[in-house]
Amino acid sequence: MNERSAAADATKPRASGEMIVLEGVEKWFDSFQALRGVDLVVGRQENVVICGPSGSGKSTLIRCINRLESHDRGRVVVDGIELTDDLRNISEVRREVGMVFQQFNLFPHLTVLENVTLAPRHVRHRPRKEAEEEAMEILERVQIPEQARKYPAQLSGGQQQRAAIARALAMNPKIMLFDEPTSALDPEMIKEVLDVMQELATSGMTMIVVTHEMGFARAVANRIVFMDAGEIVEVGTPEHFFTNPREERTKLFLSQIL
Amino acid sequence: MAVAAPPLRGRVHPARWVKDNLFGTVWDAVLTLAFAVVGVWALSGAVRFVFVSGRWEIVRDSVTSLLVGLFPRAELWRVWLLTFAVATAAGFVTGAARTRRLAEDPSLPRASASAAARDIARRSWPLAALVVVLLVLRPSPTGAALLAVLAAASAGAWWAGTLVPPRRTMLANLPPAALVAVAFWLVVGAGGVGWDRWGGLLLTLFLAAAGVAVSFPIGVLLALGRRSRLPAVRLTCVGYIELIRGVPLITLLFMGSFVVGFLFPPGSSRPSLVTRALIAIIAFTAAYIAEIVRGGLQAVPRAQLEAALAVGLSPIAAMRLVVLPQALRAVIPAIVGQFISLFKDTSLVAIIGLSDLLRIGQGLTSNPRFLAQGLQAEILVFVSFVYWVGAYSMSKASQRLEVRMGVGVR
Repeated sequence: MNERSAAADATKPRASGEMIVLEGVEKWFDSFQALRGVDLVVGRQENVVICGPSGSGKSTLIRCINRLESHDRGRVVVDGIELTDDLRNISEVRREVGMVFQQFNLFPHLTVLENVTLAPRHVRHRPRKEAEEEAMEILERVQIPEQARKYPAQLSGGQQQRAAIARALAMNPKIMLFDEPTSALDPEMIKEVLDVMQELATSGMTMIVVTHEMGFARAVANRIVFMDAGEIVEVGTPEHFFTNPREERTKLFLSQIL
Repeated sequence: MAVAAPPLRGRVHPARWVKDNLFGTVWDAVLTLAFAVVGVWALSGAVRFVFVSGRWEIVRDSVTSLLVGLFPRAELWRVWLLTFAVATAAGFVTGAARTRRLAEDPSLPRASASAAARDIARRSWPLAALVVVLLVLRPSPTGAALLAVLAAASAGAWWAGTLVPPRRTMLANLPPAALVAVAFWLVVGAGGVGWDRWGGLLLTLFLAAAGVAVSFPIGVLLALGRRSRLPAVRLTCVGYIELIRGVPLITLLFMGSFVVGFLFPPGSSRPSLVTRALIAIIAFTAAYIAEIVRGGLQAVPRAQLEAALAVGLSPIAAMRLVVLPQALRAVIPAIVGQFISLFKDTSLVAIIGLSDLLRIGQGLTSNPRFLAQGLQAEILVFVSFVYWVGAYSMSKASQRLEVRMGVGVR
């Protein structure tokens, strides 16, 4: 038992049980290879932050986890369900996986409350009243209950992103995927979104977060994944990652953003 | 520190406004006077024609024909019944919609009932003007009384509609729809008069309403089919749309009139000429609606579909609940424009021998009593006015719908 095995351990989830298993995942966009054989196992209740330069395949990777992108090779298994062309599997996984987008992507023709209750009502067939009561609880949790009756365009960016988080939480997902959730926000609004995400992380949610917010990564991540050119370059705990990165590419990236 | 006040922009004195805007320069003054002369000349001509020189007896003596064509006079009560059903249903649905809107958005100003009534009056003034014109042309105590009861019934239904609990308004649309359906059945079935014997404004409205109601869903399906991943579906829809759009409506009407008949085996009962004309109108309009809706679908970002799929909606539910509502909202003006065109284009059915509003009007001038007296102007002005009332009301309704749905705001 020495330093070497400790480093090897870092590629494995800390908590027990596998929630997401990626094995040799490859993805092409025409002749461009976006993912070059990605292996990653995310454990139950684990919080993983993915960082890396733009175009490195971070977004594509997490979009493969709820099949907004289909992978061309390898295996993607989410909570024991392997993602294939089988539509039932896909919809089952999507019900368990919430996603938050960089541009919020709220439904502009619906109020915040309707955004949040849409999926529970039409996917889980919950009665409207129950769905709305639960939605109000979730909006309390993300601290925008007073915005429930407004339309997305009437909200600030930070409020919109918290509404988008509430919309994802309404389906009671086991996993939350965040695709650069603060990149489109004005600086003064980033904290309110990160606070909600941090609360979520400590509540035991399994999370994968693509972000450049290194302060958040340091505080919340169990492991940090560094990607470049469609592959995982380095995986490690925050201490390892920030104080003692092994790979040259990681060091270069950190020197640019810190 | 003094608080900066906005610059004063008080009301300008009218005389000052006239001087600034109409007689600012010599050139302005010349233009103003020239337009004043032309305007007064046109207006006085119009007023003289309407109130003095126009021989409106040609319209007066044929008001019933213009409204319902050759519809058997003994069965006219059935048309009144349908009118009552439509007015009552419209009042009820509007009232229920108001209650729902107020419940959904508590920030909306809560107008009093009388203010709401004024609002409705402001919106329906062209229709009211048409009613007044008809009553002036043909004063009839029975007609006036019936119309008064009609207005009262509509208002009463509106009030009843506002009492529907907001959560139940979708369900509340069923009784009025059933009422109209039953009334319609009482007109065409149950010893009534089939629409192949309708005429005048009644036929025009029927062709337009049925055309709108049927062509819209078909058009939406064609638009979705054109974006389908299944080549057979896509090619069928593209082929249909491009074929229909390449042919004038008149050609389709002639085909409905002459060609469609051959498609039915001899001896079988062919659909009536009105039905065939209606099919041609629906087929034509659906293709245009499809292209308008396709434009709307393209305006919805792909990210909306992805967000809908990501929360677990099926592709069909995502289309129905997220993409399509946004697409349709974006193209309301174009769709209503198409429907206004349809409303006016129903006048083309005169060419295949149907007696719609325009055809009836034209026929009146060959009535022996009015033959060769140059009374086309009176008929055309009246018919134009009736079309204008319909088209303008649709246009107003469209603007209202846009505001309601927050086009350009959300």
